[in-house]
Amino acid sequence: MEQGPFLAYVDPWINWDWLSTHISLVLGALGEHIELTAIALGAGLLIAVPLGVAAHRSAGLRLAALGFFGAFYTIPSLALFALLIPFTHLGGTTAEIPLIGYNVSILVRNVLVGLDAVPRDVLDAADGMGYRPLPRLLRVELPLALPSIFAGLRVATVSTIGIVTITALIGLGGLGSLIDKGLVENFHTPLVVAMILSVALALTADLLVVMAQRVAVPWARPV
Amino acid sequence: MWLIAALAVVATMVAACGGTTGGGTTNKGTIIVGGFKFPESSILAQIYGEALAHDAYTVTYKLNLGTREVVAPALKNGDIDLYPGYAATDLEYWNNKAGEATGDAAATTAKLNSHLQSQGLVALNPSPAVDQNAFAVTKETQQKYNLSKLSDLAPIGNQLVLGAGPECPTRPYCLPGLQTTYGIHFKDFKALDTDGPATRAAFKNGTIQVGLVFSSDGDLNSLGLVVLQDDKHLEAADNVLPILRQKVATDEVKNLLNKIDAALTTADLVDMNSQESIQHKDPDAIAKAYLEKHNYFS
Repeated sequence: MEQGPFLAYVDPWINWDWLSTHISLVLGALGEHIELTAIALGAGLLIAVPLGVAAHRSAGLRLAALGFFGAFYTIPSLALFALLIPFTHLGGTTAEIPLIGYNVSILVRNVLVGLDAVPRDVLDAADGMGYRPLPRLLRVELPLALPSIFAGLRVATVSTIGIVTITALIGLGGLGSLIDKGLVENFHTPLVVAMILSVALALTADLLVVMAQRVAVPWARPV
Repeated sequence: MWLIAALAVVATMVAACGGTTGGGTTNKGTIIVGGFKFPESSILAQIYGEALAHDAYTVTYKLNLGTREVVAPALKNGDIDLYPGYAATDLEYWNNKAGEATGDAAATTAKLNSHLQSQGLVALNPSPAVDQNAFAVTKETQQKYNLSKLSDLAPIGNQLVLGAGPECPTRPYCLPGLQTTYGIHFKDFKALDTDGPATRAAFKNGTIQVGLVFSSDGDLNSLGLVVLQDDKHLEAADNVLPILRQKVATDEVKNLLNKIDAALTTADLVDMNSQESIQHKDPDAIAKAYLEKHNYFS
């Protein structure tokens, strides 16, 4: 619905009347955006860390995991939604599967890179001190891989906040639903509000991850 | 983190407050109304939904669901029970683009139902309201030549210029159809867009007198454009009609929705679309006002 040259009405960047009567819509979209992002990141980490550890130990699994999630990243989300709906129905599960998959493909690489980069002599020293495999993993290898994992988490966080908007295809989308509304109606206010909020959200979330990293890995400076 | 948790709680509360509306005294069951991701679809879904809610059904909405690639599987597996469809476009979706749609709304709907039957679905009666390709003229042109339907253009076409998308000269519904079905031979053709900024600018500066638009575009009135009636049914019949699961399609539901569809006109669509696209009213408010105006709540 483009507004043609016939229309004298000029759409302001922010229509305060509309905004003041649609605060709950905007907050709802923001809350949905945060919820979808948080679940996608949490579940992504829960899958990527054990998968990365296992893939670090087995060359075959490394090839399979990187290949599978690399290919997963290339599936268009609309196609994925259409394939999933008959099984997982409309709603959160269908929305999260692509988001989690995209996160795992980013995070599993960083877990692997972090574990690969643990120096051989550190492992030898740990073995020499009598660490069994599991304590060595938890107390030596993973802590040393944390800076790389956090670097991946920062990329995943910011990219998820952007990618969440695709779930607007199945009626969710968080701030993406506002962006769609603005585009469909050629209406600036929801577009501008969604843009400001998603930039603010990305910056806030990035800051939170950096602060978490300072606490968890005080010896390494975030880049 | 407490901030995120608090916002998540707010979101859940907002989500819980929206959605469901019950009505009446005895509950007749739940109907989930879906809709595509464009304003007209949300408005139509709300019209069906609010009328059903008034009739004591519990109605839940799942709106703004992308395209038919999302909506159709959701209807088949029961994530939604009903969506506002369009006879010709839905026929060509459910028959895998077999090219069966015609300008005859009744025949197109019958064909559509022959494909829906085995899926456990049913399309109700096509409304007179259509959202399809249409040819418009400015009010001045309309008055000057006293035009109301496309056939009126046949004797005077050679004085007028047609504007449409660049594909128009090769598409049967466009220039070739106007020539063979209506015998209109324009003075010239300008390759522009379909109902976009280029077409609007060309109308305004007089480069074209006839242009391709969408029949239910909410901007038509404010643009001073009049759609000419497709009296020989050149365009595939995209009449509004609800498509629903046979499970919820009781006689009572069918009668109610058929009654709404029978009263709905393309002018109503234009008016309601403009309330959303120009005044930015919400679909539920637009639908409610429509139903009140037509005394469905009395």
